[in-house]
Amino acid sequence: MTRPEPGKQTAASELAEPAREANALARKLGLDPYDVQYWVVDHDEMNELIAYDGFQTRYPHWRWGMKYEKQRKQTQFLGGKAFEIVNNDDPSNAFLQVSNELADQKAVITHVEAHADFFSNNRWFGLFAGGDGPNAAAMLERHANRVEEFLEDPDVGREAVERFVDTVLTIEDNIEYRRAFERDSEGSDPEALSETLASLGVSEEVREEVFTETWLDEVEAVDDDVRFPEEPEYDLLAFLRDHGQAYDDDAGKAVAFEDWQRELLELLRREAYYFAPQRTTKVMNEGWAAYWESMMMGEEAFAAAEEFLDYADHQARVLNSPGFNPYKLGKELWEYVENRANRREVLERLLRVDGVTWRNFHDTVDFEAVANALEPPDALAAVDPDDLDAVESLPGEYVDFGALAAARERDIDVEQYPWKLFTYEGLARRHYSLAKPQYRGFLGRVTRDELEGVSRYLFDTDRYATVGDALDDVEFSAGWDRMYAVRESHNDVTFVDEFLTQEFVDANDYFAYEFSQTRGDFRATSTDAADVKRKLLLRFTNLGKPTIAVYDANHENRGELLLGHEYNGVMLDLEEAEATLERLFDLWGRPVVLHTVTKRVTDAERKRARRNDREPEPEEVGLELRYDGEEVEHTELDWGTVEHLAADDLDYDTKPDEWL
Amino acid sequence: MGLREDLERFREVGEQRRQDLAEFIQYGDLGGSGPDSVRVPIKLVDLPEFQYDKLDQGGVGQGEVEPGDQVGDPEEGDGDGDEAGEEGADHEYYEMDPEEFAQELDDRLGLDLDPKGKKVVEETEGAFNDTARRGPRGTLDFAHLYKQGLKRKIAMDFDEEYVTEALRVEGWGVDEVYEWAREQHVPVSRAWLKEQARTLAGDTDRWASIDELEAELDAEPTKTRIRRGGAGKVPLRRDDERFRHPKIVERRERNVVVVNIRDVSGSMREAKRELVERTFTPLDWYLTGKYDNAEFVYIAHDAEAWEVERGDFFGIRSGGGTRISTAYELAEEVLGDYPFSEWNRYVFAAGDGENSHDDTEENVIPLMREINANLHAYVETQPTDGVQTGTHAGKLRDAFGEGDGVAVTTVTEPGDVMDAIETILSTEEDTDDET
Repeated sequence: MTRPEPGKQTAASELAEPAREANALARKLGLDPYDVQYWVVDHDEMNELIAYDGFQTRYPHWRWGMKYEKQRKQTQFLGGKAFEIVNNDDPSNAFLQVSNELADQKAVITHVEAHADFFSNNRWFGLFAGGDGPNAAAMLERHANRVEEFLEDPDVGREAVERFVDTVLTIEDNIEYRRAFERDSEGSDPEALSETLASLGVSEEVREEVFTETWLDEVEAVDDDVRFPEEPEYDLLAFLRDHGQAYDDDAGKAVAFEDWQRELLELLRREAYYFAPQRTTKVMNEGWAAYWESMMMGEEAFAAAEEFLDYADHQARVLNSPGFNPYKLGKELWEYVENRANRREVLERLLRVDGVTWRNFHDTVDFEAVANALEPPDALAAVDPDDLDAVESLPGEYVDFGALAAARERDIDVEQYPWKLFTYEGLARRHYSLAKPQYRGFLGRVTRDELEGVSRYLFDTDRYATVGDALDDVEFSAGWDRMYAVRESHNDVTFVDEFLTQEFVDANDYFAYEFSQTRGDFRATSTDAADVKRKLLLRFTNLGKPTIAVYDANHENRGELLLGHEYNGVMLDLEEAEATLERLFDLWGRPVVLHTVTKRVTDAERKRARRNDREPEPEEVGLELRYDGEEVEHTELDWGTVEHLAADDLDYDTKPDEWL
Repeated sequence: MGLREDLERFREVGEQRRQDLAEFIQYGDLGGSGPDSVRVPIKLVDLPEFQYDKLDQGGVGQGEVEPGDQVGDPEEGDGDGDEAGEEGADHEYYEMDPEEFAQELDDRLGLDLDPKGKKVVEETEGAFNDTARRGPRGTLDFAHLYKQGLKRKIAMDFDEEYVTEALRVEGWGVDEVYEWAREQHVPVSRAWLKEQARTLAGDTDRWASIDELEAELDAEPTKTRIRRGGAGKVPLRRDDERFRHPKIVERRERNVVVVNIRDVSGSMREAKRELVERTFTPLDWYLTGKYDNAEFVYIAHDAEAWEVERGDFFGIRSGGGTRISTAYELAEEVLGDYPFSEWNRYVFAAGDGENSHDDTEENVIPLMREINANLHAYVETQPTDGVQTGTHAGKLRDAFGEGDGVAVTTVTEPGDVMDAIETILSTEEDTDDET
């Protein structure tokens, strides 16, 4: 695919400088990306890459064909614009579409540098990568070759391989994506992990939900017995790899997996672990890329003036696509993280000014004056290439003197790349968030609770006589420093849990909604941060899927597989669950059983609710689904049997009492 | 290996997994399809998984709303869909052209409607199978010419050495040899023998008698000689020239015109309207697939009738009053442009069975008899919750019998649609069988 074609070569050479400079700018801004190899591809190749999740080779499977077809149609409607694809690898590979405008290409490049930083520095990616990087392209190609060999084996055949892949894919999300890939990995040091968790400031509720005690215990006491599971086993793929069997139709009984089946299962499991971090950090990662793209393209004018309209259009499309938009939520949250950290830094200074307390803060501080004082010096905000002396006179920590000397020699194009003259500190001041027009009110909007909280941690030393003195000490990089720390340790669950505050929800108009049985449509339930958070956590926790674990591999002493659905108040899609059980039979070879809690609304209650214009009260009942190779049987269970599956401290329901 | 192959496999898998045709017609989304392509959802990727009940899960939206406000069906938006590892969950479609649809429906219903060609269109597309004695040099059938020449040559060929040897029989001259040769059907001429006799250098009594010669030597058969020495010069004659020209195929084009009639009066409510659409649309696809050239006429009527575009046909609602004969009058007028000698004609009407007093007997039935068509059909729609009031369908059933080419069917719920379609299409087949 890299056969040089004239169009691509031209495009590639045109993009060499933007790519180099974007990386230089990214590093100045504090990003630390994997090296990125940029490839210029045509529209069709782009669609192929997207179908293959950003790689050139994947194992043969019909669903890539489906994705390709879908992508092809989609980009037809979007006017052929597939914007970016970058894969998580070291070096990362990013693909640029030859027909895109230069402005689009630059936007993609800046976006990609931020993703590459995230891949390289976020610890959830580290879970797979371990010490020496993900080696993804090589791994996926190896897998492709292996599957190809299975296909060509006359004793196996394409149909069998495909059917087996399909079956395994039904449970590809049922892995323990929260842990390092190899279960006895030395990479997951339990103590370090506990510390990390503590440092995240994650609420107890989430901590329990995300990092189950069982898990922590397991990590701490590596139990290398062969388990039949003493504790519920959440990595269904691993469990079935070790203990599963195939069902032999002719013999009418379970038979041991063929070698290729076991190998294929493990291969697909490895890919599931590889792709998991991208899904558990989707909001953070996309928001991160959108934030830095906007910083580089817009604020550092990486898009030339004449390209800016194109760029604005590009960004508007991405951020205004309808429905739940991880790019937008992520970018807004990162901006909030930045503003909050900057505000806290300023508050810690101002609350030490004599005469200023958290009680009188709003009355004594002149916010307009503070915002003015926080604005960057003129020579930093706008570089005049003919007045480099002004740059030289800026505080020393802001200026990259080597670059300044080069600029005086005209070795640096200051007009195009003014940022080259500054350090990380200088750029942090140059783009200081609280001085921007849209955030000038942010400081004043601080709540009394937050003020009180900040002041409680302040020692009564280092007092300032005046507001001016206090502001002189402000660390302008506080916001960015915080962002970098957060991007290392968080995933979407912890990110949302920590930063989605009422202030954020109000400022960005988020709301929770539920389906109204009585009305037969979706209705907003709440704009309360706790409710919005609940719904988001439901979406992010456990890859947004219900938690299913192996509870007993010898259920009823008949060798049946018992799965438990850990019910958190949201019921399973039973039709899907049935279909999945039918597939699982092929990996267990004997009957497969699922215990769950489901909701039932009686007709009488439904009518009563409709009459009183309220939502019906569902009844929670235990349910067993059992598939014996022929049909799925439903049996109601008494509450005692499923009680252990139901979490009593979790509630994802946001319906208010007086709703409709 | 590679994406091409994956794509091909997807198409194969899609074919296996597309929604069952009956289910699609009765309950599926017919809206995604166009006249040239029928889009049947693939239950695809129905790689199932453990997932939350969609309605029980709820979600998060963005915008200024108050609790209790309706928020519309939440849709997944995903910015610029790019990142690795994302799975879309939307529907894919298996696209089939109307021909395939018709074939599938035939298989499904056990039908085999063989459309009649009607209008004669002269076509020259036949192979160059006919020949004439004159024509452009370029169309000369040289194979024919050569073959004829070869035949002629073979007819004139004989073993010259053998015949010449006969001249060496003691006492034999040209006359004796000639007579002998003719008896043997050797196509030799007297002139040639004379010429040979003149050049014969002595040794004219090598053989004591012709019997001795025949016993000693065998004439070499023509086949062997040609195989050995080639055909030599083949005499080509103008008489044998043939010029190829295409066979003129008198092809009859299979044209069809379908008149869809719908009662749009006030009594036709939403549920009934949808039943009509579910019945008529697949019939349209089917006939499009069966015929070379299909045209559609849409007539809406209440107490009056008017022609509408297809896009409006199923959506129109009007005031009260129903007079079905107005639609047939209009149909008859429109069909004037489609003579039955050249066009297959189908007239499908649908309504809730209501009609104004005596209109059915006095006007509609005579009109239906008058309008020549392969098939007339009336689809009566009676949603389950309605009270049956109309009598139109019943009167039609009484008036027409088997073999009259009139199908009357009742559809009360989507589950009846396939039966209705089967009844309609098999009515034509039965009629065909009898004629």
